[in-house]
Amino acid sequence: MEDMIAVEGLRKVFHTPFRRRRVEAVKGVTFNVRQGEIFGFLGPNGAGKTTTLKMLVGLIRPTAGRARILGGEPGAIDIMARVGFLPEQPYFYDYLKPAELLDVFGQIFGLPRAERRRRIDSLLDLVGLGDAKNRVLRKFSKGMLQRVGIAQALLNDPELILLDEPMSGLDPVGRKEVIDLIASLKDRGKTVFFSSHILADIERLCDRVVILHKGEVKHAGTLQELLAQGDRKEIMVNGTLEDGWSGRPGIHAVDRVGGAVTRLLVEAGASDGVLRDLLDARLEILQVADRRISLEELFVADAGTGPVGAKEVAG
Amino acid sequence: MTTLLGTPRRVAAIARNTFIEASRNRAFVGLGIAAMGLVASSMALSGLAIADQMARVLVDFGLFSIAVLEVVIAVTMGVILVFKEVDKKTFYVILTKPIRRSEVLAGKFFGLVAVLAIALVLMSMAWIGSLSLRGVPLPHDIAQALVLTWLQAVLITSVALFFSSFASPILSGVFTLGVYLAGTTLYVLDDLLVARKGLLVTNDAARAVAKTALVILPDLSVFNLGKELILGIPIGWDYVAASGAYCLGWCLLFWGLAAVIFERRDFA
Repeated sequence: MEDMIAVEGLRKVFHTPFRRRRVEAVKGVTFNVRQGEIFGFLGPNGAGKTTTLKMLVGLIRPTAGRARILGGEPGAIDIMARVGFLPEQPYFYDYLKPAELLDVFGQIFGLPRAERRRRIDSLLDLVGLGDAKNRVLRKFSKGMLQRVGIAQALLNDPELILLDEPMSGLDPVGRKEVIDLIASLKDRGKTVFFSSHILADIERLCDRVVILHKGEVKHAGTLQELLAQGDRKEIMVNGTLEDGWSGRPGIHAVDRVGGAVTRLLVEAGASDGVLRDLLDARLEILQVADRRISLEELFVADAGTGPVGAKEVAG
Repeated sequence: MTTLLGTPRRVAAIARNTFIEASRNRAFVGLGIAAMGLVASSMALSGLAIADQMARVLVDFGLFSIAVLEVVIAVTMGVILVFKEVDKKTFYVILTKPIRRSEVLAGKFFGLVAVLAIALVLMSMAWIGSLSLRGVPLPHDIAQALVLTWLQAVLITSVALFFSSFASPILSGVFTLGVYLAGTTLYVLDDLLVARKGLLVTNDAARAVAKTALVILPDLSVFNLGKELILGIPIGWDYVAASGAYCLGWCLLFWGLAAVIFERRDFA
């Protein structure tokens, strides 16, 4: 079966006016999205997520490489008729009411009037804007505009839905609703590609993930595959370790956890050797436990920003 | 069905939206009121004219006011047609729909052309009303003169659309006004080229520049027949049709150039 999205060696270089400076926003990115999956596109701000997404919908031309969606060229009329797209922080014609806006898009899609009316009513109800039909968009909050954005992305009942930061601006209830909506789209056989820097959403929804950092793919695969890369052992030792231990191969962290207890975080493959060394050093081992790296730790390690406590990572 | 300008359904959707935008824009409503005021002011001016010149002032100033205000609407709204969409990022949701960029430009153009038509009808009603109030008989070919005025504004809209596809609104405005001013005075250049003496006859470089200007700029004097209207010289519908074809040719050229530039743009 053909991939819904196939990206190979995609690059984008932006030139500043008069071409004095060049910024390489995307550096040879390669990945693919399969039919019926929810695919997460993860990375801190400035990683190149939005630029890549814009190349997938034809808003930006790649400098090099190739992107194909639904087997065709991004931006082609017949392809875009089967795609739904929500840009980051969407802006709309603020002099229109939501139903009027969706009607403009419905006309572009070539939907008959009765079908437009039916879909618009149903979508506005679906995104919780049924009661705000008669208010102009100028008076909408950021979260309400995000809901309108989701509605317009689904108007043509697309096969492939590309969402750039879909949870942005939503309150917890709104986030939950959008998460449920994305999950229901998968149940209906749709393919969803969404970018986010909110790790909890990615962990909850995605079948596969790409982690982008500074324009490059750092990790790609299923969540299990990604997290397995970082399987570790946590070894608790009674006593204080000399400074030299923290620099040894396979040891990620050495820290005191209260009293005389020291905790070592060790790569799973290196744990046997470290345990042997600890016993040779006549240290009392209190506990050895498996510790699976979280997506957050993987993400932060790529971003090089050190550990964070919050689930949402500002980049 | 697909035409030279794209699929009518998609072009019409954008045109309708552009028209709604203009009609809900307070600035446009203000401009309409100013237009009415200007036309009405021709009545006040006519009071200053010598008795037998009153009709001439009312006709001349009224038509001139309508022509200028149509161009003002074409320039002020035309130069922001594309810029506003880029600046407000509303293009992100439009250009990712199944629509060609050239169709979006055509739709925006037709939307503004419709706005100009409505503005022309309203101003013409005010003008004709002021003529009737003063008991001035309506010039014989008034409809033809008004249609020509509209055609001129339509052509200027296409110029504004072309410049706005790559330049800022201020620059687009300056360039468009430049084309308008040059276009309305181009006939002078034409006369100078066939004169017996003068710079354009003796200096080859100046002559080449003048000839180039005549080729690359639209001659807007084609649309300005106020003098003929006052003198009662007939303006036939065949002339209006020929002028319409002339306008269409230039519009297609400017739209085509805008579409080529617009097609290559990145919306980062």
